[in-house]
Amino acid sequence: MKLFELLDKTNLDVLDHLEREVSVPVVDGLHAQGDVLVLPFDLVSSVVRIDVHALLADVPPEGVELVRGAAGGNPHTLTADRNAARWTASVMDPLGLAVAYVENTAPVYLVHPEHGATGIAPGRWLVRRQREHVAVRRRTSFSSGWSGSVLVAD
Amino acid sequence: MPIDAERWWRAVALRDAWQAHGLATGPSDRAATEAAISALYQLADRPPPVFTWVDSPRAALRLVPPGPVRHPVRDLSRDVANDIADRWSALRWRLDGVLPSRQWSAWSTENALDALRAGHSPAYIAETHLLAPLLSQVRDRVVRFVRAELGETVGLCWYGQHEVDWIARFEVHRLLGGLSFTDEDSAELELWAVLARSCGWWWPREGHCVVSERPVVTHFEAGDEPRLHNENGPAVAYGDGFALHFWHGTRVPAWVIDDPTHERIAAERNVEVRRCAVERLGWQRFLDGADLALVATAPDPGNHGHELRLYDQPAGWGARQRLLVTVNGSVERDGTRRRYGLRVPAWFDDPVDAAAWTYGLTGTQYALLVRRT
Repeated sequence: MKLFELLDKTNLDVLDHLEREVSVPVVDGLHAQGDVLVLPFDLVSSVVRIDVHALLADVPPEGVELVRGAAGGNPHTLTADRNAARWTASVMDPLGLAVAYVENTAPVYLVHPEHGATGIAPGRWLVRRQREHVAVRRRTSFSSGWSGSVLVAD
Repeated sequence: MPIDAERWWRAVALRDAWQAHGLATGPSDRAATEAAISALYQLADRPPPVFTWVDSPRAALRLVPPGPVRHPVRDLSRDVANDIADRWSALRWRLDGVLPSRQWSAWSTENALDALRAGHSPAYIAETHLLAPLLSQVRDRVVRFVRAELGETVGLCWYGQHEVDWIARFEVHRLLGGLSFTDEDSAELELWAVLARSCGWWWPREGHCVVSERPVVTHFEAGDEPRLHNENGPAVAYGDGFALHFWHGTRVPAWVIDDPTHERIAAERNVEVRRCAVERLGWQRFLDGADLALVATAPDPGNHGHELRLYDQPAGWGARQRLLVTVNGSVERDGTRRRYGLRVPAWFDDPVDAAAWTYGLTGTQYALLVRRT
């Protein structure tokens, strides 16, 4: 799939300087889009759990915003064909970094205005945010509290 | 080509003129402004208001109560701002009805003249090549930041010069399509056009109207799609000191531009603001001045040709931690890649282990990274 085809289909957009004629690669493995990481769920299944009551929802073609930037812009949006993927945010990650669990039977796409799009091969995936170390432990809603880290806000 | 080139260039010049009005600085034309607003009051069956002029939208907000914003169903109050808003929507609705219907097709990146020769309609090319960029330049890159900075309820008001996008749209289509609006509609549109050429934001209220002057400074970077940027002061400033600072389109606190010290950079929570501050200082100066000792470097997995660099931090930056400098996986508009500094716990000696920690992985896991954008 070419980037412009994906954007036409989803009504999402990326910044003008990104090449729209490129084919969007479908990646079967660990990959990063800015401060968001997509990893094979099996890599962390020993520590990360899906809430037993979690209801997996369809990922709609118009997309779900997984993460939005601190200034309100630049969301990471997951988009898929109907019935190709299901997701939930009810993930228990001891590090507090997980934002979504995704399972898909056909490629799904993660789109970002500055980073373009990446296809995710069929499989089970965990989407995580990036953190950084803080010298002073702070209790904020963004902090995982005990770990002395905050999520990267870009 | 369906239209003559001469007419196309007149449309380009028309758009450019509106863009210049939208980004204009300097004193308002107060007489023209007051006459046009009084005429809008008259169309709303009100006598001319008493005018108060202020130096900035922030100053205006101190003089007008928030609102009135009308609930579409519950509230049928007929205050002057809502009456003007009703007429304004009706005008735009009528004028929209005369415009050619919009075509939706794949975004054309060709040169406008080539696209016209290839048979795209002038109306479509005007939208994509003239009007969308104008909208983006004025609304997305100026108005929304000023509005966000005001912070409070801005209430029902109009943006004066910053309304150029919709006025230009009707005028450009009128020129290209040879459309004609009724005399009444043309006259009413012209009142709004006068305001877009003459003043800043304005708040009509019953019996009085508060009008802001335009900014005294607006600075953009050079280039085809200039973003707000000024490395020597505010990028937008009004006469009373209300100001906004930008680094290549990113809104930043004033200290980032005026006094980006190592201490402030170390204390900044937002990684994007920190990046701008470091770039303002210069990465080399930042790394030298902060007296950071390089611990190790390693190729960045998934980000071919780029390095992860791990630095020791000097005492005084708080508890022991190290700084991991990474390079973005995506190219910026100017062709460069951004560098980011992330703080990591001090126990890491291997940059890959440190990068892995930021995502909660081991170095071995992170080394499997296939792609970074």
